[in-house]
Amino acid sequence: MAGNATAQETLFALREQIARLEGKPLPALVAAERAKAAENPDRQGARAGRPRLPLGIEQVDAALEGGLPLDGLTEIRTSLMGNAGSASGFVLALSAYLKTRERSEAPVLWIGDVVSAQEAGVPYAAGLKQFGLNPDDILYAWPRKLEDALWLAETAAASGALCATILEIRDNPKHFGLTESRRLGLRAKAAGRPLFVLRHGAQEEASCAVFRFLAEPAPASERRLPDGSVLGGGIGHPVFRLILEKSRNPAPLSFFLEWNPRDRQFSLARKAAEISSFRNPSAHPGARLPAPADRQDRSPALGSVVAFERAS
Amino acid sequence: MRLTALDEVSERLGLKRGQGLAEARAMYPKIDVTDEDEAADRALLEAVADWCDRYTPLVALDGREGLFLDITGCAHLFGGEEALLKDVLGRLFHMGFDAKGAISSSSGLSWAACRFGRGGVIADDDMEDVLAPLPVNALRIEEGTVKALYKLGLKRVGDLMPMPRAPLARRFGTHLLLRLDQALGADEEAISPRRPVAALSAERQLAEPIQAEEHILQLTGQIAVSLKSGLESRGVGGRLFELVLFRVDGRVFRITAGASQPLRDPKRISSLFSERLTAVHDDLDAGFGFELLRLNVLQHDTFKTIQDDFTGDGQDGISLVDFIDRVSARLGAECLQVAELRQSHLPERARIFVPAMTSRNMRAEVETVFAFAPRTDRPLRLFRHPEPIDAFAAAVPDGPPERFRWRHIVHQVIRAEGPERISPEWWVDPEDAPERDYFRLESEIGCRFWVFREGHYGGKTPPNWHIHGIFA
Repeated sequence: MAGNATAQETLFALREQIARLEGKPLPALVAAERAKAAENPDRQGARAGRPRLPLGIEQVDAALEGGLPLDGLTEIRTSLMGNAGSASGFVLALSAYLKTRERSEAPVLWIGDVVSAQEAGVPYAAGLKQFGLNPDDILYAWPRKLEDALWLAETAAASGALCATILEIRDNPKHFGLTESRRLGLRAKAAGRPLFVLRHGAQEEASCAVFRFLAEPAPASERRLPDGSVLGGGIGHPVFRLILEKSRNPAPLSFFLEWNPRDRQFSLARKAAEISSFRNPSAHPGARLPAPADRQDRSPALGSVVAFERAS
Repeated sequence: MRLTALDEVSERLGLKRGQGLAEARAMYPKIDVTDEDEAADRALLEAVADWCDRYTPLVALDGREGLFLDITGCAHLFGGEEALLKDVLGRLFHMGFDAKGAISSSSGLSWAACRFGRGGVIADDDMEDVLAPLPVNALRIEEGTVKALYKLGLKRVGDLMPMPRAPLARRFGTHLLLRLDQALGADEEAISPRRPVAALSAERQLAEPIQAEEHILQLTGQIAVSLKSGLESRGVGGRLFELVLFRVDGRVFRITAGASQPLRDPKRISSLFSERLTAVHDDLDAGFGFELLRLNVLQHDTFKTIQDDFTGDGQDGISLVDFIDRVSARLGAECLQVAELRQSHLPERARIFVPAMTSRNMRAEVETVFAFAPRTDRPLRLFRHPEPIDAFAAAVPDGPPERFRWRHIVHQVIRAEGPERISPEWWVDPEDAPERDYFRLESEIGCRFWVFREGHYGGKTPPNWHIHGIFA
């Protein structure tokens, strides 16, 4: 009997360890948290477990289970290098938003990739100032090798001295896989500071990131005059088209997010969505054929679409 | 071809420096001759000089074959002058050098005693007695003067000493008397040390050489503890540290590490070197181990003492500085940069990158700079160099392009803002530098670009279009 109990205990300990590794709430911890919350109910909102960064938009925050994790990895990728503007814009907007929210004096670390800097330029201080980040708010690092970049990200995440760390990566390098991202994730978790991985022109890949966004460009909002009227033809606040590819939701969520640099607030851009869908009609217009009622539906296609069939 | 250096055997045979090679070969057909390699000789002498740093920080090179060591205030550390000289010569002998040495109050006398006398330690009272029997060559004077002195029968320094000075100066110039005075210590002679003397320095002699990196770091920490009181008494903290590692076989390694803020804490000093050691790992060959470690403070700055408050805040600032120091130590100071705005309306000149370690923001005194703040939007990412694009149609003369090709991809412009004219800065740029008209463009998929037209339509040459940045 005693041996059995010891085995059980070992099993529970291992389960807890696995849950801790995976970042899932532990059953025992959750119970303890509830008990604590019952003791002083006013602290219920500030859940000691996982701090989050809500974006201030109900639908998005619901999909993000309260917001982006402040103690973990978030990945923002683009499918093409040409979309670097919107992805960097979203990451930098997030940093500015986080800095404003936390009223933090600590700078944001931008770990740049040298080739991406040649392809898409380097963050520009004067533009960033208009975007909501002062020149002193950003530290730039230009490591020569990916190993150095990973070391930097790890040190930065572990030091806890930085408001956020942005790691810019191009493509899907061999040396940055699941193991490395898990390592970074653990560091970020230990220090409680967020780490944003900005991946240009990359495929989806397994990583430790809690959420992964695919960023795409979207038409900017109209320029608004001080009295609230809209100036036609102007290019206003930036809008990003974001697809939440990885989350606990089964279906990817797609939305248009507008960043207001002056108020430092996100909002949903419905107008941009209309313009965008008008300018870029979908490849297969029209609804799919309804399922036949009198016989079996044909079996769904296996695997992903590699090439479309001939149209003519 | 002439002989420039001789070994002991050939010296005993009677060969002389400066002798013609043909003559020497005629006398002794079997002698071995190798070409002189001045650079290698120099490197060897430098290496020996490096090794001599263990005795004193003031080591100067003397010509092609000699070293001056200013051991003022150092001799007692090695058990007196006799013991010091014995130690130097003994160690050099075991490394395979046949060196001669002399210690005296003047560098001229030591030079003479090494080369023409018996060397050894010369007391102040014996200076004249030692110098007198030496030949006049021992005074470091020109060949012509030596010959003239010989002709007059003045062969020994002792012959010159009682002579009246005025006729000597008239006949041979003041240089001879200056050298004589310098040799006797009546006139000052400064040696020029190879390296600047560190403001503060501490070292540890080891009975047993160490090899492992962690031992080096541990010792560095211990040495830093002994530096701390020196830094505290001066009210400063170190900005640039140098760790000097003396290997058993005489090789010397120097590793420098900088800090963005004055440092005193031994732990942080040793952590700086832990990053540096990782960075120079391959170059640092421990061999049979290091027997002497020295930590120098090369640069220091006023240390601002901040009183801690009870909130326990202020830790963030320290860890940020620590982070900057660690990264700069490991990946170089250029790796971590801060952007600073400058007073210029040309976009590429409006900001510069400065290393975070030397940045103004990280320093204590922050001065405000009135930077040019543009009214119109600036891009989020700026290219290092504007890239040329093919702009197809433009509403002549001042309109934006309707379509343009950049990196082989055609972008259809839907919306445009501009132009914003940015003129070249006449106080920097040449007179004929063209003006730029900047436009913000949005393509049909929603990418936003910052392009400019250089020059005007209707001029001698058609204008060039460039892309300079992208917006979010």
